Amino acid sequence: MDDFLRQLPHVDQTDIRLFAAAVSASSNGVVITDNSQPDEPIIYCNKAFEYLTGYTNKEIIGHNCRFLQDGDRDQEARNLLREAIAKGEHCQVEIRNYKKDGRLIWNELMISPVKDQDGNITNFIGIQNDITRRKEAEKALAAEKSYLEERVLERTQDLQYSEAYLSSIIETIRESLVVLNEHMQVLSVNDHFCRFFKIAQDDIKGKVLFEHNDGRWNLPELKNLLINVLPHNNPFEGFEIESEFPKIGRKLLVLNARQVTLKGKYQNRILLAIEDITERREIEQRKEDFISIASHEMKTPLTSIKGNLQLLQRKAQRNNDTQYSEGFATASKSILRLEKLIYDLLDVSKIQSGKVGFSFTTFNFTHLINEAVEGILATTQTHNIIVTGGSSQIEITADYGRLEQVLLNLLGNAIKYSPDGNSVKVHISILPGYLKVSITDTGVGIHERDHKRIFERFYRADQIAEKFPGVGIGLYVCNEIIKEHKGTLWVESAEGKGSVFSFTIPVNRS
Amino acid sequence: MAKILICDDEQEILDITKLILEDSGHHVLAVTDSLMVENLIEKEMPDMLLIDLWMPNLSGDQVIKEVRKNPNITHLPVIVISASKDVKEIAYASGADGFLEKPYDIDALLDIVEKHLMH
Repeated sequence: MDDFLRQLPHVDQTDIRLFAAAVSASSNGVVITDNSQPDEPIIYCNKAFEYLTGYTNKEIIGHNCRFLQDGDRDQEARNLLREAIAKGEHCQVEIRNYKKDGRLIWNELMISPVKDQDGNITNFIGIQNDITRRKEAEKALAAEKSYLEERVLERTQDLQYSEAYLSSIIETIRESLVVLNEHMQVLSVNDHFCRFFKIAQDDIKGKVLFEHNDGRWNLPELKNLLINVLPHNNPFEGFEIESEFPKIGRKLLVLNARQVTLKGKYQNRILLAIEDITERREIEQRKEDFISIASHEMKTPLTSIKGNLQLLQRKAQRNNDTQYSEGFATASKSILRLEKLIYDLLDVSKIQSGKVGFSFTTFNFTHLINEAVEGILATTQTHNIIVTGGSSQIEITADYGRLEQVLLNLLGNAIKYSPDGNSVKVHISILPGYLKVSITDTGVGIHERDHKRIFERFYRADQIAEKFPGVGIGLYVCNEIIKEHKGTLWVESAEGKGSVFSFTIPVNRS
Repeated sequence: MAKILICDDEQEILDITKLILEDSGHHVLAVTDSLMVENLIEKEMPDMLLIDLWMPNLSGDQVIKEVRKNPNITHLPVIVISASKDVKEIAYASGADGFLEKPYDIDALLDIVEKHLMH
């Protein structure tokens, strides 16, 4: 160091020593180059520089600074440095250097020129810090950032796909869809809506629904329903509108609406689905009409058959002629079955069209049970009916004829489906507010999977349909009748273990 | 022994009802055209009318209303025989005395006829 200082002209030795000590003690690496010599060799480096690079003072002095970049020549920072040195300017760069052991270090390097009295550059002073850690952190951060960007891109793409997927569903769906805002303005409609109502998107977008189509949607009941969807989250289903619409004529529409349940941006929106059931309702009506007409038409020939048969039977009896008695009995039974079928079909058709009239009277339930049991006993030679429970005091308000129909049906089934049995049990229990009738047979039973379905219209359990005739409407009718009485009808059974059909009926409070 | 007029647009029904009543010794007149009923009653003066409700031209309840308006025949017992029990109230409202649903039992037919002939 002293040699170095001694070479410097006209400088106060004491001050110089202080400066030199400061530079030597600095934790930043400091080098000084001599730019008056060829290839600008390093003529000074401090301890920190030695520590930073791993080289000793001897190995450093006399070299051009570039030896620190080793083979990593192709750095933008080097160009900047070269330019600054050429122009004699201050410069700051971040540069990759290599320690003696070959490890990469990132250095922040500042170089400043030193000029003589004539302005010629004599030296450059370089100060450098190890910023490897910061660089690594930055690199990790950048990697994280680019990873996140990728994820965002992926998610965006996913969303785009799922939006495209959903919108393809919405556009394919054979139902008209409308999105409304809280002011009942139409925000969007699907393709089906436009095709069905024969209008363009732009003709309805932004319009208030109730003003559209000359106010055909302006129904107080619908308005009330729609207005209440948002504030109280009250979805509705199955609201029917029948009206004459421009371009498409008279239509029966069924409307469902619900709040879009997503939070945030979309929550004050209503999704309204409109289904055209005009044709379906017509077909249903035609089917019911057909059943009704066909059933009535069957009654005429049946009246003739029944009348003629009974007349022949009467004449035979008068003549004490017994040779055809069995034939008469069989034919009478078949007629009875046919009659019951016709009545059941008519009942189904009436239930479907809501035309069943119930006439409620108050009567003693025991009378009804006795009458039904007598009625069924007249049709069977094979089975006993054993009635237990109940009391003579039970009064109920119900449709006598319809409840008798239920009892006859259940008792008839109990006998029909227990061909090997000889008795059917009827038990009446009195429960709080209700009475319960259970009809137990020892017959073929019903698989558990069919316990609900046997009450459906025209349903017949497989193993039963094979062995017993029937069309599957008796239990459906019974169930509808019991429902109308605010009771329930159900079955407990297992295959081969017999069945228990039970129903409840509310009793009069006394 | 009574003279009974039957009107039903279905020939099959007329035939069997006639047979049953004749078997019990009644004299039976049968027509399919409801428009002829009022005149026939005035001309033949039967003891009873059995009539269907749903018929072309003139429905059974309208025939009954005409009968009830005609002072010469207003007291004639009238029984409606219909394939639908839902029209029972229409039948009684028009002035029918009895109601029988098709397909009927012979006994039920004869019972209701006897019952109303006695009145």
